[in-house]
Amino acid sequence: MSKNFYHYPVWVRLWHVMNAILCLFLIVTGFSMLYSNPDNGLVVGFKRAVSIHNVSGILLTVSYTLFLFGNLFTANGKHYLVAMKGTGKRLWQQGYYYVYGYFKGQKAPYPVDGEHKFNPLQQVSYVGVMYLILPMLFITGWAMMFPEFILKKFLRFSGIFLTDQFHVILGFLVVIFLFIHLYVSTMGKSALSNFRSIITGWQESH
Amino acid sequence: MDLNKLSFSFLFSVLLISPAGAFPLQEKPGEEKKQLSLYAADNEKNCLVCHSKLVYTITDTVSGVTMKRMMSEQNVINPDIFYNSVHWSFNCLDCHAEGFKSFPHPLEARFEIGWNCLDCHGNDPNYAQYKFEEIDAEYHRSIHYTATEGMFTCWDCHNAHYYNPLARQDSSSRDQIFKSNEMCLRCHGNRDIMGMISDKGLDKVLPKHEWLPNVERHLEAVRCIDCHTRMTDSVLVAHEIVPADSAVKNCTDCHNKNSILMGTLYKYVSKENRDEKGFVNGVIFNNDSYVIGANHSKFITLTGKIVIGMTLAFALVHIIFRMIIKPIKRYNE
Repeated sequence: MSKNFYHYPVWVRLWHVMNAILCLFLIVTGFSMLYSNPDNGLVVGFKRAVSIHNVSGILLTVSYTLFLFGNLFTANGKHYLVAMKGTGKRLWQQGYYYVYGYFKGQKAPYPVDGEHKFNPLQQVSYVGVMYLILPMLFITGWAMMFPEFILKKFLRFSGIFLTDQFHVILGFLVVIFLFIHLYVSTMGKSALSNFRSIITGWQESH
Repeated sequence: MDLNKLSFSFLFSVLLISPAGAFPLQEKPGEEKKQLSLYAADNEKNCLVCHSKLVYTITDTVSGVTMKRMMSEQNVINPDIFYNSVHWSFNCLDCHAEGFKSFPHPLEARFEIGWNCLDCHGNDPNYAQYKFEEIDAEYHRSIHYTATEGMFTCWDCHNAHYYNPLARQDSSSRDQIFKSNEMCLRCHGNRDIMGMISDKGLDKVLPKHEWLPNVERHLEAVRCIDCHTRMTDSVLVAHEIVPADSAVKNCTDCHNKNSILMGTLYKYVSKENRDEKGFVNGVIFNNDSYVIGANHSKFITLTGKIVIGMTLAFALVHIIFRMIIKPIKRYNE
């Protein structure tokens, strides 16, 4: 018998949908900026991709700031606090479950309940993306718009080149995260139950 | 160089010079007006009474014969530009030999050893930011020095009478590129001058750029020194001109990867766009500083593709196992 928990209040759902749309725009235009050439503009063309990327990046910074404030001043923030003790063990157990236990019909080691909406792997990856990768993406992205603050040279590399490449690497990490995030979301009670949760706010335990 | 000396000799051999056909000293508002009044009050700068003209009148005091002559162009100073230059406050004889004070100019004066930048600006903490010593070291390594046995001086490119570093900041990047290239093309774009300077043959000293794609666009948008100097990060404008066969010929040196030039251009165009059009129009919607292919690092994009591919492959394998196991799970339940 499964239970339902109200884990996604309205503001989290609104932020999440905004975050998802902006990230998709950023990824598509980012790839267009990276791989288009004068003869092939990919999806939107280079010039337009730069503009859309800039606008989406600025809006994502705003939406991220709202998310930070939400986490600071509401109960949602507690889900992003990782207990350091035993983290390795919990991550191993959850990983083992995904690649082996799940197929053996074992019970999820860290099921969703009233206090926990993320399992240890989700928690660590969300904290990594939200508190580490995204802020660094914002810093490098804004720096590219105000390049006079970038060092001219660092070691034997051009500062602009390093900042740009770092931004690209972080972008790739977000793409990888997105794929894993979407795939793991299909491993709820049913393949679509987690997608329903982020729309209705109610999460089903499994 | 010999031509210069000849023209000087001719100029200073005249007996008496009187004003005629001078550059028009137009009344200008504000600061210019103040400068022009200073010009009028400064007796020593009366050199410009003659040297601001393309045509002057000479009179032989013995025979009384008067005739008009053309002044050699390189000895003509435009006062309007001079008084807006960085050296405007100097008297002519602060830099030129004392002998030029008298008429006719004596022969000894023509042997003056001209000052160069370092004579005034070298090792002076007030000018430390311009790094004149480093520029001088670069110049001494440049082909202009080594191939001419030191005959080449600062003034062959820079005009001491008109030099104005602020003009560089105020003008658009197109203007700056044009002015910079004009400096090189004054000699390198002139077959007659190059023919007289070098005995290597014109085919070896005149620039060849046919190999460049979109030659005209490159020559409009790139300074000669961007490819023909050894760039460093410490000197604002590189002065180490390299031999032609050492010039940049690899597209990716500028258009890709880890190029200091690329970084500097990006910063400059971005700031210029922002200052001219504002943040929204200049940076967000019309960001010209970001050029196609600029951030395409083969290694990083290939690594990215491989890691993303492996992630998708892992997900695919996982989903296949899930599909296989699903009926078994249902059966067990």
